[in-house]
Amino acid sequence: MSAPRRLEGRLPSMSVDPFVADARGWTPVNSRLATVRRLVGLTLTVLVTLVAVIALAVGGFPELGFVALLVGLGVTGWLWWLIGRQVRAIGYSERTDDLLVVSGIVFRRLVLVPYGRMQLVDVRRGPLERYFGLATVQLHTAAATTDATIPGLRPEAAGRLRDQLAALGEQRSAGL
Amino acid sequence: MTEPRHTHPVTPLVTMVRAAPVLIIGIFVTGGGEATHFLGGLGTGGLILLILIGVGVYAFFSWTRLTFFYDDDGDLRINSGVFVRNERRVQLSRLQSVDVTQPILARLFGLAELRPEVAGASSEGTKLQYLALEDAQQLRAELLARASGLRQEEGVPVATAPEQVLVQVPSPHLLASLVLQPSTVFLLLLIPTVVAVAGVAGLWELGITGIFLVFAPVTVVGGQFLKYFGFTVAQSPDGLRLRFGLTSHRSQTVPPGRVQAVRIERPLMWKPWGWVRVIVNVAGATGGEEGEDRPSVILPVAPLPVARALLQQVLPGVDPFSVVLTSAPAAARWRAPLQHKQLAVGATSTVFVTRRGWLVPKWDVVPHARTQSVRLRQGPWQRRLGLASVFVDSTPGPVSIAALYQDAGAARVLAQEQTDRAGLARRQAGPGQSESHPVGPPIAPDPGNGADLP
Repeated sequence: MSAPRRLEGRLPSMSVDPFVADARGWTPVNSRLATVRRLVGLTLTVLVTLVAVIALAVGGFPELGFVALLVGLGVTGWLWWLIGRQVRAIGYSERTDDLLVVSGIVFRRLVLVPYGRMQLVDVRRGPLERYFGLATVQLHTAAATTDATIPGLRPEAAGRLRDQLAALGEQRSAGL
Repeated sequence: MTEPRHTHPVTPLVTMVRAAPVLIIGIFVTGGGEATHFLGGLGTGGLILLILIGVGVYAFFSWTRLTFFYDDDGDLRINSGVFVRNERRVQLSRLQSVDVTQPILARLFGLAELRPEVAGASSEGTKLQYLALEDAQQLRAELLARASGLRQEEGVPVATAPEQVLVQVPSPHLLASLVLQPSTVFLLLLIPTVVAVAGVAGLWELGITGIFLVFAPVTVVGGQFLKYFGFTVAQSPDGLRLRFGLTSHRSQTVPPGRVQAVRIERPLMWKPWGWVRVIVNVAGATGGEEGEDRPSVILPVAPLPVARALLQQVLPGVDPFSVVLTSAPAAARWRAPLQHKQLAVGATSTVFVTRRGWLVPKWDVVPHARTQSVRLRQGPWQRRLGLASVFVDSTPGPVSIAALYQDAGAARVLAQEQTDRAGLARRQAGPGQSESHPVGPPIAPDPGNGADLP
C-alpha cells in the first residue's frame, strides 16, 4: 500500500494557503453585514423552533418540546457563529491592476478581475441593507461566470469604490 | 430610410400549413369535435377548418404588418405585430452573425428564414420569416457588408462575399463519430445487458422493454446526424461560414475576431482514428433558450491536422498542442481518480490552455486578450490534499476553462499570472481585434507530463 503513504507525503503542503493576502492585506467588510444576514438566516429557524416547541408542548409531549427547544437553540447558536465567521472571511483588495475578492471558509473562493475587463460596476441596496446602512458592490465583465461581489460596504465606501473602479477601468482600457 | 419591404407573400400560407398538424392532433386528443354542437353541428373537420381560417387571417395580417427597411443611420428596422406593435432596431455595428435557415416546410416552398444575431437580444423578434431563399442570401450578404462598414448605394445589389471551402465532413465519418460517442456506446451496451438480465431472471416483459431501448441511441444519433449532415466550413471575408443540416438547413457566420475560447474534444473511442471535435464561444452569444442556433460547434468531427488548420483560422498563430502543459500533482488522484491523468495546464505568450476529462478529454484554449476574470477555488477535500482549482472566465458559451486540482501554492501563482497577462494583453491588443502580439511572461515549462495528443 504505497498510495496512502504518498498521501501522507502531500500533507506538508497543507500549510500552503493560496488565499493569503499580499502585503496590502484584505480589506474586511462591515460587521453589520453579519447582523443583516443573521436576521435573514435565523428568522426562519427561530420561527420553526417556536412552532415546534409550542405544538409539542400543547399536544402533550412536553419532553419532546424541551428537546426541540434545545435543538433549535443549538442550530440557532451554530448559525449565529457560522454567519459571523463567513462575514469575517469576506475581504477585498484594490491593487494596481486588478481587484481581488476573497470569501468562504470551507469552500474558499478568490476572484481576480483585471480593471481593464470591467464592463460595469453596480451598487445595490436592498431594503434591509438600507436600514442597516450597507450597500453591495458588484463587478460585471463580459463573462457571466465572473462572481465578483463585495457585500457589506458603507454606502459612502461603496460609492467611492464604484467611482474608483470605474475610473481605473476607463484608464486601463483607454490606452488601447 | 429605404422603402419598407415585406416578407414573401406565401408566408401566411406556410404558417397555416405549419399550424395544421398540431391543430388536428390537438382537436382529436381533446375531443374538441364533439363540443361543436352549439356551433351548429360543425363537426371535427369543420372546427379544424374554422380555426385554420382564423390562423390564416391572423397570419395574413401579421404578414401585412411586418415590414423591414434601413433607417437613416443605415441600421436595420423590423416593425411587426398585429395587436402589439414591435419596432426593433438592429444596430448593424453590433451584428454578431446572420443565420439563414430552411426548416423543412419552408424548403418545400423554396423559402428561408433570416436571423440577424445581435449581442444580448433574443432572436425571436429579429427573425424574418419567410423570404425567398435568394432574397435571404442577398439580404444576409447586404447586412454583413454593411456591418463591416461597406455602406452600399441603395438598390445596388451586393455580391455575396466569395468563399473558399476549408473543410467538408463526409457523412460516413459523421455517422461513425456519433456512434462512437461514450453516451451512444453506453446505451448500446445497456441493451444486451438488460436483455441478458431479463433472460436469466425470466422476465420477458423486461426483455421486450430492453429491445425498445434500441430507439434511444437511434434517436440521439439520428438527430445529431440530421443536424450536422453535410457540415461545411468555408472561409469568406465576412468570417467563417458554417453550413449544415439535412431536414433543417442552417448557415451561420462567425465574424473574424469574435471567437473568445476554443475547446477541442476527443472522446476516448475516437482516439484510434485520430478524430477531434472543435467547439467555440462566440462573443455576444448569450441567452440559453435558443443556444443551439448560435455558432458553437464549428467542426463536429475531423482528423486532428484538419482541426489544427481550422484553428489557425479562428485563433491565428495559436497551436494549443505545442503548448507545454504542467500535469496536476499526484495528490489529484484522490480528488479525481478517473481524470487525474488528463488534468494539466499551460500558457504561452498568447493563450492559456487547460486539459481535463476522462471519457471525453478536452483541451480548452482562451487567449489572454479574451480572459475576463480568473477565479481560484478550494473545497475542504482539495485543501486537505494541498490542491486548488483555477477557473478562467470567458464570455457565455459551451466552452469553460478550468485548471482543476493543481498544487495549491502554484494555483495562486497561476491565477495571479493569468490576471496579469489578461490585463497586459488587453492593453496591447484592444477590443474586437484578434490579438497576436506576444505578451506577458509564459509559465515556466515543466516537461514530463502524460497523455498529450499524438
